[in-house]
Amino acid sequence: MDLAPVSFLPPVGAPLPAFDSAPAAGNVPGLGVAGDFASWMRSQAAETQRLLTEADRQVVRLASGDTDNLHQVMLSLEEARLQFQLLTQVRNRVLEAYQDVLRMQV
Amino acid sequence: MDLTGSFAISASGMAVERTRLDVVALNLANVNSARPKDGSGYQPLQVISGARRAPDFGSILDGVTGSGVAGARAFAGGAQVHELRALATPPRLVHEPAHPDADARGYVAYPGIDPVREMVTMIGALRAYEANVAAANAARTMAQRALELGGN
Repeated sequence: MDLAPVSFLPPVGAPLPAFDSAPAAGNVPGLGVAGDFASWMRSQAAETQRLLTEADRQVVRLASGDTDNLHQVMLSLEEARLQFQLLTQVRNRVLEAYQDVLRMQV
Repeated sequence: MDLTGSFAISASGMAVERTRLDVVALNLANVNSARPKDGSGYQPLQVISGARRAPDFGSILDGVTGSGVAGARAFAGGAQVHELRALATPPRLVHEPAHPDADARGYVAYPGIDPVREMVTMIGALRAYEANVAAANAARTMAQRALELGGN
């Protein structure tokens, strides 16, 4: 009797399907040319930092009586908060996935 | 997640209503400001506001059709104050012969401000401001609910 070897995984050393070739990966704004997750995360972290700094600056201006509208300050605070929450949630999901892989039985 | 656009639209509405409230306060503050004999002095003011042209809403509307799409694209910048118009209302004449600004017949000219009208404008501006705050809060709530997707 002839049994074909089970081969779900490509043998070690065989070229993995490239992520670069995923359609439209290069068109997503915020993604680098390679379209990798790390660069997206880095750009989002930079954006969060920018929004937090901006909100901080506006609060300082409000405290020093240098601003004319309160709603702009509140809206930039909200924007910074939401951006931070987005980053936190993405980080939570990534860590969850990582821990799932870590717990996997081999 | 582009909340900047929704927030900017709400903020522009709030700024317009703030201006409207400031102008109402200015009118009410000058309701008893006598006008000098040369005809200068305070004229009641009115805020003329309108939609602001700024095509930054486009990406959200991609693939959406209908008669309002062109308008939504064109006026996606929210609202803005077009001009502050001086109302040509006739002055309110009060007989006060002892007043330094009284004319030859003893009448003093006060700005023709209608307090009732100003109060109604003020209430309208306040409600419109509140509506803009509600819209901004709704946008924020939507984003927060989206972030709750799949969470535990």
